[in-house]
Amino acid sequence: MASALSSTRKEDQRAYWLFSLPAFILYLFVFAFPIVLSAIISLSNYKGGQMFGGEAWRLAGFRQYGILFHDTAFWQALNNNMYIVLVSIFGQLPLGFLFAYLIYRKIVRFGDFWQGVLYVPAIISVIVLGIMWKFIFAPNGLLADLFNNSYSRTLVGVLEAALKGGHALSDDGIRKILSAMDPGVIGLLGPDPVAGFKSQLLPAGGVVIADPASFIHAMSNYAPKWSPDFMTKQNTAMIPVMFVTLWCWTGMYLILFHANMQKIESEVIEAARIDGATELQVARFIVLPALSGVIINAAILCISGSMNTFALIWAMTGGGPMNVTEVLSIYMYRTATMGVNYPLANAIAMVIIVISFALIGLTKLAEKRWGGKE
Amino acid sequence: MSPNRIEEERRFGSTVGGKALALIGKIVATAVMTLFALMAIYPIVWLLINSFKSNADYQLDKIGLPPQWHPDNYKGAWEIGDFSKLLPNSIFYTTVGTLGVVLLTTCAGFAFAKLSHRLKGAMYGSFVIGILLSLSSLMIPLFLQLSQLDLSIGNILASCGILSDPKSFHFFYNTRIGVILVYVGSGLPLGIYLTTEYIKGIPTSLIEAARIDGARYSRIFASIILPMCVPIITTVAIITLPGIWNEFALINIIVGKLELQSLPLGILRFSGSRSTDYGKQFAALVLGLLPMLVFYIAFRKQITKGVSGGAVKG
Repeated sequence: MASALSSTRKEDQRAYWLFSLPAFILYLFVFAFPIVLSAIISLSNYKGGQMFGGEAWRLAGFRQYGILFHDTAFWQALNNNMYIVLVSIFGQLPLGFLFAYLIYRKIVRFGDFWQGVLYVPAIISVIVLGIMWKFIFAPNGLLADLFNNSYSRTLVGVLEAALKGGHALSDDGIRKILSAMDPGVIGLLGPDPVAGFKSQLLPAGGVVIADPASFIHAMSNYAPKWSPDFMTKQNTAMIPVMFVTLWCWTGMYLILFHANMQKIESEVIEAARIDGATELQVARFIVLPALSGVIINAAILCISGSMNTFALIWAMTGGGPMNVTEVLSIYMYRTATMGVNYPLANAIAMVIIVISFALIGLTKLAEKRWGGKE
Repeated sequence: MSPNRIEEERRFGSTVGGKALALIGKIVATAVMTLFALMAIYPIVWLLINSFKSNADYQLDKIGLPPQWHPDNYKGAWEIGDFSKLLPNSIFYTTVGTLGVVLLTTCAGFAFAKLSHRLKGAMYGSFVIGILLSLSSLMIPLFLQLSQLDLSIGNILASCGILSDPKSFHFFYNTRIGVILVYVGSGLPLGIYLTTEYIKGIPTSLIEAARIDGARYSRIFASIILPMCVPIITTVAIITLPGIWNEFALINIIVGKLELQSLPLGILRFSGSRSTDYGKQFAALVLGLLPMLVFYIAFRKQITKGVSGGAVKG
């Protein structure tokens, strides 16, 4: 009996290793070893080349971290990561919650359809989306055309209205036209724009317009022209990046929150509504507390995703202009591939991991301090 | 007024004003929802429309429909972008990678949920921590590890006289095997967490009964666990598949050869080299997003379930 038992025990152990070992070895290979390797190289003076048996390299202490913390590019990248973290936590989560609530409470109809549409960006490669948005935000891209078309339509509308009664332009009509024109052009008309308009822009017949159609066509060139330069200016280049980050993943949190709202017992909400609670009160005092755990998990997802964001920004801006949209992972990539400074790049990898875990720890602390309403 | 009546009024809004307010709320909510849905979908529709424009037409008008449709943009993008190489590569990485993740996570999930060992807690715990790590922050050490391993093995083989040039040896770096190993590995933590928690819900008595009947663990796994795990296997596969298909940061650094590139890599390369060839550029982007869009439309219910079930990090 005893020998039979011990043979089963042995078989249990063998089965455990048989089933868990392949996954565990691969896990060590792609997660654990690189972390250890990264920690070692970040403390070394390794200059590339053959690591084992090649040119000698040795541990050199925390020098790279000192260099890192004195590098303005590092603080800029970290700052940008924080922007992404903030727009995720205070943009994606509240918007996702709002939409999920509207659908869950059937305040908007066809909820399933909206949910399906809003998730579309999250399933598509961020490389494709990043390039697409680069074309939209370009100085002569879609956004510029959308605005400039509407400017010139407004101007044409004003012109048509001014020319409606007969073909003579009144001073009042000219003033209205001026208000829809490009300020840059108005500046060229001299101190009295109305007089300048009359002397410089009217055809031969003066205020009596003989051919309104061609006049309007010629004038439509003077509509305001806007050329979006967010992506080319240093202090605004992060705005499109943050917008696209928000645009991309809000749908995911919508799905997450909506699925968990459906676990709330609907009788509780119905009873509260009958007792006179408003939708806002239901959201604040029933749904929000019931989802607090899910929201914390979502915040952790946001942090871990934001600290590791790479491909979207790489495709959209490549970290430019002048590295102002660089996040830590792009800074690390640039350090390793262009600077070929492996110790510094690995120090950055270590910092990314430490900061991610620190932020997640903070979130957990915040949950303990203010959460726990479940 | 009877108490009944008061309750009625509370429930349905007593005044005309209350009803109007509720209606206005609904209209505003629907308007906001429509605006955001348009914002989500319009850029993609815009991309699709402009992928049929000639360069000149795009520069003239970026909003309207093409005056002349140019489906040949797609032919050009396909040929210049080497899609005939990229697409099979992406399909290979995604199918093999997803199968690998599903196989390894189901096996390990079985071990962690139903078998006992003194190291189990530590091993399972290490996977759960791994959920919070992203391999993209480890791309540089990963690249060094894979390339140095190849170099070391190459050196050993050279010193044994099997190989003349140690640098020519590639097993991990710049190979399909390397990509698959990294992709399967990166899918393990979340997959193992999900399958373990799922298999814990399968009654242990089923396994014990089979053990008493003399079934081996491999048999139990194949004929009891695996069939009951179909839902969680689907979930894991559904979350893993788009992740691998769209992955960029890692394959960007562990693959150099054109023959091994996946769609995202090829599309970025195409975009960099022909940034003013708008029509073909957009056609390449549409080719890049179409497979996942079709996948999403076909499996929306499962994907939605997978996303809400898979986002249990923490």
